Amino acid sequence: MLADLWAAYQSSVGFAMVNVFFALSTYAVLSAGVLSFASVSYAAFGGFIGAQLVLNTGISPLLALPVSAVAGALLAYAVALLFLRLDGHWMALASLALVLMTRVVVLNAPTLTGGVNGLSLPVDLSLATLTVLLLLLMLVFHRLSGSWYGIAVRAVREDPAVAASLGMPARRLQTIAFVISGAVGGAGGMLLAAMLQFISPDTYFINIAFTMIAAVVLGGSYHWAGAVAGAFVFTALPVVMQAVLPQIQDVANGAALLAIMVFLPRGLIDPRAWRLRHAR
Amino acid sequence: MRGDGDTPALLELDGVGKSFGGVAAVADLSFAVPTGSVMGLMGPNGAGKTTVINLITGLLGFDRGHIRFDGAEIGGAAAHRIAARGIARTYQNVRLFSGMTALEQVLAGGFLRRGTSLIASFLGTPASRAARARSLAEARHLLDRVRLAHRADVLAETLSYGEQRRIEIARALGAHPRLLLLDEPTAGMNAAESAAIGGLVHELRDAGLTVLMVEHNVRLVTDFCDHVAVMSFGRKLTEGTPAACLAHPEVQAAYFGRSGDAERIRALR
Repeated sequence: MLADLWAAYQSSVGFAMVNVFFALSTYAVLSAGVLSFASVSYAAFGGFIGAQLVLNTGISPLLALPVSAVAGALLAYAVALLFLRLDGHWMALASLALVLMTRVVVLNAPTLTGGVNGLSLPVDLSLATLTVLLLLLMLVFHRLSGSWYGIAVRAVREDPAVAASLGMPARRLQTIAFVISGAVGGAGGMLLAAMLQFISPDTYFINIAFTMIAAVVLGGSYHWAGAVAGAFVFTALPVVMQAVLPQIQDVANGAALLAIMVFLPRGLIDPRAWRLRHAR
Repeated sequence: MRGDGDTPALLELDGVGKSFGGVAAVADLSFAVPTGSVMGLMGPNGAGKTTVINLITGLLGFDRGHIRFDGAEIGGAAAHRIAARGIARTYQNVRLFSGMTALEQVLAGGFLRRGTSLIASFLGTPASRAARARSLAEARHLLDRVRLAHRADVLAETLSYGEQRRIEIARALGAHPRLLLLDEPTAGMNAAESAAIGGLVHELRDAGLTVLMVEHNVRLVTDFCDHVAVMSFGRKLTEGTPAACLAHPEVQAAYFGRSGDAERIRALR
């Protein structure tokens, strides 16, 4: 019984874990005060480069993973140099435009991406491996938030002018955030490719952008654990609703998301709320 | 330019002007803050005092003139670079970071003295952990200095206004500045709290800090400032000892609206 349940849902668990990568990629920049959808592009870049590497050299996808991460980081660095001069809303819109462009570029670069036909990637990624990678990623974010970088980006996010008057170089800190976001997004793109064993221009598109923003908003954007929780809840909710309320699953799913947003506007994980309670 | 007596100036404003869409917020403003002194910047609301602080700290750019810190031009430099030279500030309306505890605010203030790289801090090398411990100890010491050690782990936004102002001062001191700019540090405080801030400012001066303080509280200015400049409508009315400034007829008129109001209004028309 339990084994059946696991068999039915283990792919959902796998996708939830990959979605954590995308959610944390978004969180990385959001925690420095920048809303960007560009993680989709890092994922595409990292995914296709990693897939080609695996296909052409026969190395294990785990070895291709660091290359995907570096590719994503480099792209993110370029995005930061170009886009960080833009103000909030424009930055978000420009990153959305980048996502749209990415799909066109992917379609028209068949030597790298397979074009319309996509790429088959006959590899095996076990859930255990994915779990270990996810734990490592969480450790990275835990260490970052505990370092001076963690406090500095929080300051920049809350009040960039005050942060600057304390000597914090906002632009440079945000560029670091982009590079982290790019590395995590690129790695996530490769993991998604390995999970799906097939990638095409539609793999890395608006649906990922939607997933990661929803996950971060849902889980809470004031702690990295919020992105983790949000990605799991957002991935699991439709599956659960389908099992529990199959007739009205879409409505129930939407209602549940709305309820979380209305009653927990700062997300499921909100360190400020804990501290307020602690203060009483 | 020099400050009073033989003390060299730490900060000099020389013919500084700043307009907002044709309205001169600051015009041809010159004054010097002598090293190791407490200088007061007075003037009625709208005189341009906070704008001056914003110009010095690089939050706003100015249109003409020079601002020199320790002899070097800082006009046009980015705010974080000016901070790195040794200028720290507080705000007229307290601007603490939402969601941070009192201790974290002061830790953020110590950013410039973090003494470790991002990689080392991320990896938790022994040197970075020692630097972290130093930063923490220093932040606790600063909180203690503003008598808020017992509030270290409380969310700063839940504290009283006066306490938040003191946290802001502690945060500004975190970078070990040479010049501290206080923008109405005692606004909303009672007499005892104000006197305590004045006492703290004297302690800091005796420890070698130079202070420029925007202040409305005449008592505080006379008791705690060595030197005062008075502004009105973006210009400097007068400068000198607190007593001399307060006795100046134009200051009386501009600041207290006591004498010659009618002529003044006629002159403005």
